[in-house]
Amino acid sequence: MSSVKKLLCAAVGALIAGSVSASADTVKVGIIGPFSGPFALQGKNFQAGVEAYMALNGKSVKGHDVEVIYRDLPAANPAQSRALAQELIVKDKVQYLGGVYFTPDALAITPLLKQANAPLVIFNAATSAIMTQSPLVVRTSFTTAQTTTPLGKIAVDRGVKKVVTAVSDYGPGVDAENAFKKAFEAAGGKVVEAIRMPLNTNDFSPIMQRVRDSGAEAVFAFLPSGPTTLGFVKAYNETGLKQAGIKFFAPGDLTQESDLPALGDGALGLLTTFHYAVSHDSPENKRFVEAATKAIGGADQLSFPAVGAFDGMHVIYKMIEATDGKQDAQKAVDAVKGLSWTSPRGPVSIDADTRHITENIYLREVVKGPDGKLINKEIETFANQKDPGLASQ
Amino acid sequence: MQTLAQSEKLAAAPSLGSRFLRDAIGIAAIIVAGIAGYFLFPDNLALLTRVIAVGLLVLSIDLITGYCGVATLGQAALFGAGAYAAGIACVNGVTEPLTLILIGAIAGAAAGLLMGTIMLRAHGLAQLVLSIAIVQLFHEAANKASAYTGGSDGLAGLMLSPLFGMFEFDLWGQTAYLFGLALLVVVFVVLKFVVASPFGMLCRGIKEDPVRIGAMGAFVFPVLLKMFVISGAVAGMGGALAAISTQVVGLDSVSFELSANALVMLVLGGLGSLYGALIGTVIFMGFEHVVSAINPFHWMTMVGALLIAVVLALPGGLSSIADAILPSRGRTRGGKA
Repeated sequence: MSSVKKLLCAAVGALIAGSVSASADTVKVGIIGPFSGPFALQGKNFQAGVEAYMALNGKSVKGHDVEVIYRDLPAANPAQSRALAQELIVKDKVQYLGGVYFTPDALAITPLLKQANAPLVIFNAATSAIMTQSPLVVRTSFTTAQTTTPLGKIAVDRGVKKVVTAVSDYGPGVDAENAFKKAFEAAGGKVVEAIRMPLNTNDFSPIMQRVRDSGAEAVFAFLPSGPTTLGFVKAYNETGLKQAGIKFFAPGDLTQESDLPALGDGALGLLTTFHYAVSHDSPENKRFVEAATKAIGGADQLSFPAVGAFDGMHVIYKMIEATDGKQDAQKAVDAVKGLSWTSPRGPVSIDADTRHITENIYLREVVKGPDGKLINKEIETFANQKDPGLASQ
Repeated sequence: MQTLAQSEKLAAAPSLGSRFLRDAIGIAAIIVAGIAGYFLFPDNLALLTRVIAVGLLVLSIDLITGYCGVATLGQAALFGAGAYAAGIACVNGVTEPLTLILIGAIAGAAAGLLMGTIMLRAHGLAQLVLSIAIVQLFHEAANKASAYTGGSDGLAGLMLSPLFGMFEFDLWGQTAYLFGLALLVVVFVVLKFVVASPFGMLCRGIKEDPVRIGAMGAFVFPVLLKMFVISGAVAGMGGALAAISTQVVGLDSVSFELSANALVMLVLGGLGSLYGALIGTVIFMGFEHVVSAINPFHWMTMVGALLIAVVLALPGGLSSIADAILPSRGRTRGGKA
């Protein structure tokens, strides 16, 4: 009896001692993302990307253990975002902040960074302006302008001279419209009509009619992923626009892999441009998809936020390495300026001036994969694209 | 009939002295709780400041729903009007915090006047639907006017000057919290006077039976409209406080979700009692914060369970516990009178 007791005591003692020595040298990373609510899938992808990176690269950097703390922010809510970031910094003593799905949430955190002496690595929030708000922000996702711009040239190359743009009437939609118009008209095309649809539109047949009446040869679309996109694509097929040969161009948010099963065969042939396709053919991506699928629990759920999180963790690991586990935000950010590596999405680097990721943008077509599932097949590569939104500033 | 009404009134209105004492204790309790929060949770001041801002919104709903019987699911329109007014003023060079709160109050009151004028034309369900329509219109207007409001990206870059020239609004949020707490106490004291005044009594009368009040010779519409304006000013101050403490204003501050959540908090705490509004806000947001940190993935289930439990066990809201613990206080006083 007493020997059991002794053993228990020893075990508990060892556990306490172990946890103390580990916490003495633990670097904490706070990840804010939508882990519940309507955008929970995107949050799950954050988590899958982070866990995949830690599974493949270990849970410590140069002897410093890395501990990740997740905080839930279900929808765009800057006040709560700031409260969560403040708590992570002050109470949980995190050295790095990461994640952030929506732009307003990122904008609420940026004023804190300097005082907190903590860098923010953005895994998703895709508005150009965030980068100008604080010198301690690094971004590993994309911007809408960055993924959209190559479409202008692609459309003209495919013999399209007249396009109608149809975007949801909100920030990213307007960004996409402007970026496409600029690139398309620079390449010699003409936007004959710019339609802005209210965010909660469900009936798209009148819009398809306007597209048809305008005599355009293609439609450029941007809508938030989910049910609205499904409705739009369905209307495009059912009103005969597809049969009439009117082409469909969009940034890849619309055909993210987790939405493809719901889009069904109606999505076949859609042309989109984006920075990452789960089907990307490279050994790095094979390793990533395998690890991330294990973390998320189903291959169908994997989509682009996971790769943003995966590369975000890479940047954070490099920062920890450069500062040797000490808290020094400016040194950490300086260390990753110009950093380049091979990501699951292809070769990438952090632009030294803007701290935004420079990456390949791919033209993809929705096709049936070898196993009969829909995939985004990459058919053309635009190498080393910077964010045109920032470059022009 | 007349005697019945008289005895009811006597029962509801205890002697001036005891009411004053009770309110003094209540307000002291709020101050003590607020200061205890400051020392007990020094790392969560941003959250606590947000609780205060939302608390002001819930108080403002209580004024028109709890005291006047006008149900609304669009109160965030007034909160958002205050937040955006303060935010836009701040970006354009008005950086003094007290002035910004005043601007928020004025904008909220103006929005309340507008909203009241429209909503009070209808009754019952139609009124509720109108309130939703109004908050959606405000939301869409804020989205469309992105040149001024930042649209869905939010209005960022609010740079505040220190409070009284000395206290900075910083990362630790001490200034913001104490400023918010002081604001809450001042507003609460003023509202206590408002609801205890003859005007407040008239509102309660209208809630019970508007036809009877009309027959007594009082005009119902202007009384309710006045309460809408006061409620708008309170909600607007809440919005301005949120804008000051977070230094960013998002579309969520004029959302239907915020309106509905605030109404839920009010029901949780108890309608028609200013204390209930605050208790509901603190319990709801505190619970939400704790469970969402414990399990960031499935916490909403827990919040739902709490709401169902409270509504089933305490239909009068959490503040009715106090009434249950102190039974027959009103009755003894009635008897004495």
